[in-house]
Amino acid sequence: MDTINTDGYMIAGYVVTFASMGLYLLSLYLRKRNLQRDLETYQALNDEK
Amino acid sequence: MKTSAPSLFSAALAIARKDLAAEFRSRELISAMLVFAMLVILIFNFALELDVGVRQSVTAGVLWTTFAFAGTLGLNRSMAVEKDRGCMDGLLLAPVDRSAIFFGKALSNLAFMLLVEAIVLPLYALLYNETRVFKLEFLGVLALGSIGYIAVGTLLSAMSAQTRTRDVLLPILLFPVAVPVLLASVKASGGIIAGLPFEEILVPLNLLIVYDVIFVAVSFMIFDFIVEE
Amino acid sequence: MQSKPIALTVLDVLSVIGIGAATYFALVFAPTEAVMGNVQRVFYFHVGTAWVGMVGFVLAAVAGVVFLITKDLKWDRLEFAAVEVSAMFFFITIALGSIWARPAWNTWWTWDPRLTTAAVTELVYIAYFMLRAGIEDPEKRARFGAVYALLGGLSAPVTFMVIRLFRTIHPVVIGNQSAAAQGGFDMESGMLIAMFVAIGAFTILFVDLIWHRVRLAKLEATVEEIKLKNSI
Repeated sequence: MDTINTDGYMIAGYVVTFASMGLYLLSLYLRKRNLQRDLETYQALNDEK
Repeated sequence: MKTSAPSLFSAALAIARKDLAAEFRSRELISAMLVFAMLVILIFNFALELDVGVRQSVTAGVLWTTFAFAGTLGLNRSMAVEKDRGCMDGLLLAPVDRSAIFFGKALSNLAFMLLVEAIVLPLYALLYNETRVFKLEFLGVLALGSIGYIAVGTLLSAMSAQTRTRDVLLPILLFPVAVPVLLASVKASGGIIAGLPFEEILVPLNLLIVYDVIFVAVSFMIFDFIVEE
Repeated sequence: MQSKPIALTVLDVLSVIGIGAATYFALVFAPTEAVMGNVQRVFYFHVGTAWVGMVGFVLAAVAGVVFLITKDLKWDRLEFAAVEVSAMFFFITIALGSIWARPAWNTWWTWDPRLTTAAVTELVYIAYFMLRAGIEDPEKRARFGAVYALLGGLSAPVTFMVIRLFRTIHPVVIGNQSAAAQGGFDMESGMLIAMFVAIGAFTILFVDLIWHRVRLAKLEATVEEIKLKNSI
């Protein structure tokens, strides 16, 4: 039996995997940055008082 | 003067009796569940075109979906009532074990669900000429499935009643978690209707019993954490 | 904000190396499967992500129980991190399974017991996020989250067992094959090695991500606290 050419599916699989992990990492980074910005704002507010 | 706290069992019975008495007077919950259940079955009828051939294979699924939906209706209502009228605080103040509240609520919920099943099942049998739903094994699976479903359902309804989204949240929380029970029940009762040999029914039946025990025990143990303030 | 521990940086580097190695083993080292061709190479990541997904859901349930006993919010943060990271990995598992299913079973999706329970497991944890989003009080949120993570952890094993209990077309990796299973293949030693490299690499990445997520949760808690103080 001949091997079927399924390269396209393989590429799709790896694209999906790395895209998902990349998006998750990006979301972690963005959430962290926003929180740090919030934190700095509050600290600046408290210093003014 | 020394007053001894009532035993867990009698306290649970008292709570269940209170719910049943209140329901017996108003009948608003049972009638809503019943009408809803009949509507679901009617919708299935024209959605699936339940002719004789199709009916054989889907009866178990249709009935279980109906009971699960009607069940959430009852679960939602029974906890919302306690919450809205401030009865929950009263119950929590009562000198009884918190677990008794869980058992009492679960008992009354189970009673409502079994009552709905007891009325819907003959109607289904009549409307679709399907007498195999009265097989003793089928009724047994129905009871076992209801027990597991109501056990987690009571726990989760106590939880969803305390969230912002409330009624909307209960089915979302309950359905995926209850899947082992629902899956096993549908498989087992479907097998019984199809007249499969007992060995084939045994696998889902065992799964059902295992999850009944797990869900009842776990819900009983962690209910305390849901109601503490 | 505490500075980043060296161990975490080391773990970051190890994760990148691990995933790189797993990709190499899956794409280059492992032999091409004789019938299905290259698409079989997604199998290694499918197993790797499924493994950490399952481990994470069990870990979340355990952390939930420990939280209920100790009432220490750090266990709540671990539980939430485990659920979030695992939900992400389990999504990849399902997506890869679907990609494998198309050429192997000629359909993207089929309502087979295994696929159904996998989808349901993912839904349990989506419901978990919705539950937590509906509660404002952090202590109550943690308590309810712990209870739900425990319930989810109890029903998740069915996903794992279902292929051994019912007739399903999904192949079994460990243990006996169901007679109805389709699209399985005999594993050569090269494939087995690649599978274990993937499992190892995803385990390291999993620990790394959870650590990062726990640190983020700590930051969230700090900000929430300051917000509360300022509003009073």
